[in-house]
Amino acid sequence: MEVTIDPLFLAWSYFRRRKLQQCADICTKILQDNPYDQDCSLPISEAAWSLKTRALTEMVYIDEVEVDQEGIAEMMLDESSIAQVTPWNKPGWRTQPVTQSGRPITGFVRPSTQSGRPGTMEQAIKTPRTASTARPVTSASGRFIRLGTASMLTNPDGPFINLSRLNLAKYSQKPNLSRTLFEYIFHHENDVKNALDLAAQATEHAQFKDWWWKVQLGKCYYRLGLYREAEKQFRSALNHQEIVDTYLYLAKVYQRLDQPITALNLFKQGLDHFPGEVTLLTGIARIHEEMNNISSATEYYRDVLKQDNTHVEAIACIGSNHFYTDQPEIALRFYRRLLQMGVYNCQLYNNLGLCCFYAQQYDMTLSSFERALALSTSDEEQADVWYNIGHVAVGIADLTLAYQCFKLALAFNNDHAEAYNNLAVLELRKGRVEQSKAFLQTAASLASHMYEPHFNLSILSEKIGDLQSSYTAAQKAEDAFPEHVDTQQLLKQLRVHFAAI
Amino acid sequence: MELSSDAGKWLDAHYDPVAGLYTFSPCMDLADLNGDGENRLLVGDLGSGSLGMKLKVYRGTALSSESALLDLPTGLVSFFMDLHEPRVPAVAVASGPCVYIYKNLRPYFKFTLPGLDVNSLEQDVWQQAREGQIDPLSLKEMLESIRNKADVPLSVRSLSFLSLEPSEMDEFVQLHKQQPVKRQTVITCIQTLKKSTSDDDGVSCLVIGTESCHVYVLDPEAFIILSKMVLPSAPTMMNVTGQYDVEFRVTVACRNGSIYVLRRESEKPKYCIELSSHPVGLVRVGKNLVVGGNDESLHGFTQKGKKLWKISLPAPITTMATMDLPTRGFQAVLVGLANCEVHLYRDKNLLSTIRTPDAVTSICFGRYGREDGTLIMATKGGGLLVKILKRTAAFEDKDSTPGPPLTQSVRLNTHKKTKLYVDQMMRERESGTVMHRAFQMDLSRLRLATAKAYLKALESSLTPMSSSLSEPLKMNAVVQGLGPSFNCSFHHTGLSLVTKEEHWLL
Repeated sequence: MEVTIDPLFLAWSYFRRRKLQQCADICTKILQDNPYDQDCSLPISEAAWSLKTRALTEMVYIDEVEVDQEGIAEMMLDESSIAQVTPWNKPGWRTQPVTQSGRPITGFVRPSTQSGRPGTMEQAIKTPRTASTARPVTSASGRFIRLGTASMLTNPDGPFINLSRLNLAKYSQKPNLSRTLFEYIFHHENDVKNALDLAAQATEHAQFKDWWWKVQLGKCYYRLGLYREAEKQFRSALNHQEIVDTYLYLAKVYQRLDQPITALNLFKQGLDHFPGEVTLLTGIARIHEEMNNISSATEYYRDVLKQDNTHVEAIACIGSNHFYTDQPEIALRFYRRLLQMGVYNCQLYNNLGLCCFYAQQYDMTLSSFERALALSTSDEEQADVWYNIGHVAVGIADLTLAYQCFKLALAFNNDHAEAYNNLAVLELRKGRVEQSKAFLQTAASLASHMYEPHFNLSILSEKIGDLQSSYTAAQKAEDAFPEHVDTQQLLKQLRVHFAAI
Repeated sequence: MELSSDAGKWLDAHYDPVAGLYTFSPCMDLADLNGDGENRLLVGDLGSGSLGMKLKVYRGTALSSESALLDLPTGLVSFFMDLHEPRVPAVAVASGPCVYIYKNLRPYFKFTLPGLDVNSLEQDVWQQAREGQIDPLSLKEMLESIRNKADVPLSVRSLSFLSLEPSEMDEFVQLHKQQPVKRQTVITCIQTLKKSTSDDDGVSCLVIGTESCHVYVLDPEAFIILSKMVLPSAPTMMNVTGQYDVEFRVTVACRNGSIYVLRRESEKPKYCIELSSHPVGLVRVGKNLVVGGNDESLHGFTQKGKKLWKISLPAPITTMATMDLPTRGFQAVLVGLANCEVHLYRDKNLLSTIRTPDAVTSICFGRYGREDGTLIMATKGGGLLVKILKRTAAFEDKDSTPGPPLTQSVRLNTHKKTKLYVDQMMRERESGTVMHRAFQMDLSRLRLATAKAYLKALESSLTPMSSSLSEPLKMNAVVQGLGPSFNCSFHHTGLSLVTKEEHWLL
């Protein structure tokens, strides 16, 4: 005989198995059978209503902690200046692509941390069009629409809940409904103002003693850009209950307020309560990384790996750090681990290829690059791979191949400053001074954080006897990378020239 | 290390960061102006360069008097011009072609340098202009031809006439044609030279270096030129020792980068020191000369021009002065550096480093007030800094460069060889041939793939630079803006390096 499952239980089961659409459908049906009336709410329809809001929320849910991207307006029109991100430098030829503000690419791209603050307004407004990821104009308008809000999708039957007709005061009295409703409004409808209203009334109803509502209030304030208010709410929530998420939200507020040290202290405080918590450790590591303190970032990533040895971000970051500190063989080990874990993309093969080459495992090098090329999904990725193949070609002294590779890198990404720089060096070897000069100038204008074009231009000018241009170029190189010894020597030599009678 | 030791040597007596004192070492001197045994600080303040030139007198920490100067001071010295009691020194301020003598801080005498020979052709031309025989335009042509040909340079009047616009010329000629043409030189440096005794309060002569490459010695009472010497180049700094009546030496650093030593009874320089860079400071310590070079170096020479030592400094020199403590028989050189430090050198050994809040432009050491060892410094930002040498301070004379340089023992930050590295090396050693073959095969495949991709890129003109050698062009497009309208700029760069920009609005 056929056993029929209670539809609500079935819906609950679907929900738990993350078959959200089916869950929502069943709930819709239940609600049609038992119209949810606000006056005489039946327990079953109430439950179905609540489940449906949760299902719909889950469909578009994004982790509020992880997703954070500063808009241009926040970045440039903000009074608070970020801890100045000094460019990441490595003498000699550029080895691995870096992002627009000069950090090496780990192969693990996170929103918002992939680039520091652009130095100038011009660079900032250039960014959204030329970077591989578009940056929204302000976070308030662009981001949440793009990243997963259902309010843009048209629903044939009209919206599930008509917010404008909702009596928020009444719902705020019902703790079992108000939370799902809040999440629905906040995540699904992306209506922060109504969500804030609801949260404010609910927290009042809970006599300001419920930490959950305080966190939600903080989230709303954060989205509205009221960071100080958000900080207050999160702090108060932490007083009621120590929760990892609250620490993360609060740290996010501090980062946005440009107080990385406070955020660090907060994370450490959180670690006292939750020793070994991976998200807190990752947070610390990210802040260190953003402040270009790569060695301590690596320490924390190691701690992360002790807790969670499949943490992709930590493995990728430690690997890239080893690569840049001249231990490609260890970096290779980390990247292979990623490969074993099932990460299968262009960046990983690209990094593997580079590591193999610099660790002298030549048989694996070129096949890795070939695979990276095959896996590349965008022109920028292809440009980066060609650029790295160009490096290998320089390494085996096949300059024709190198020339072609760098040109291909430029064909796929016209703003590849590193490729311009290297191409200029090759042109100079061929004796085409003017061309070389033009490339170097282009490279310098495209990437102000790089010292190589300035340095190369300085050497070039010095060779052709234009000491004045050489000196100005060397000074620019010094600005970009004050510790570069070759620049210092060149400057010293030039000063001797100038001082001599 | 230096900082702590200096806190024990110098007392911070006074610091006024907004004293508004803009001056250089030659325009600073200490003298007992009232004869009351208390030394005052005399400063020729340059003001803002065109306004506010002043002669300032400081007593203690306060400005006690100031009087306006007519022109930029180039040097200031105090000296005894007579034997009258009470023994009160006069102050000589050199500016432009004149030396202004102040006594009791009141103007007393003005000495003007003798005029130079005027080009006779130039004189004739101006004569014609005065008589109205030529108009300003032809005057200009004639003066220009004189300027290009003649050995004797033009006068200042002719030079400023030549720099005028044609519309202003007529007025200028009307204004100036009645006066005779004169050619004046200017004073570049001034020093004092004891007349006949080496006593502290003995009568001194003034020694003046001029732009016309002359050095004059003036009689202190009658202000007549006692002797005149010729240099190969214009002097910039000067150092004088000895007595006029007995024997003296005038050491002059010149603009051609050489130092000349002049002696009594010789009109031409006796010795010449050719430097490798332009001198920026000249100081005598005992019988030796210490010269600061433009190339961040300090040189020591004997007074006959033999090089003794050279050291390099951490920053460019801003000023130099001698530190003379006769009571202790201590002599050293104070060197102001652009990195906000003042170094004290005895011979080539660094004795102490004084950190200052701003770069020092002017240093003066001596008796100030009633304190013998006072160091007075004026900073670049117009501040006044006074430090007093502690009576207990002792300077240790240690060689600053003993043994090998420190950097030699610093370990390089390299990684240890990891086990992984060794393993991989072993693998490479064991299966080198296989690896090489695999690599070579991959390489030829890759070359082919690259060539194909390159050809494709060329055929579809994807590369941002032209591939033909006859039209070397490079293009770079940048889209800027927040939307809805964007600015798209194309940068075209040609071989001739003429950059053309086009802006398109999208």
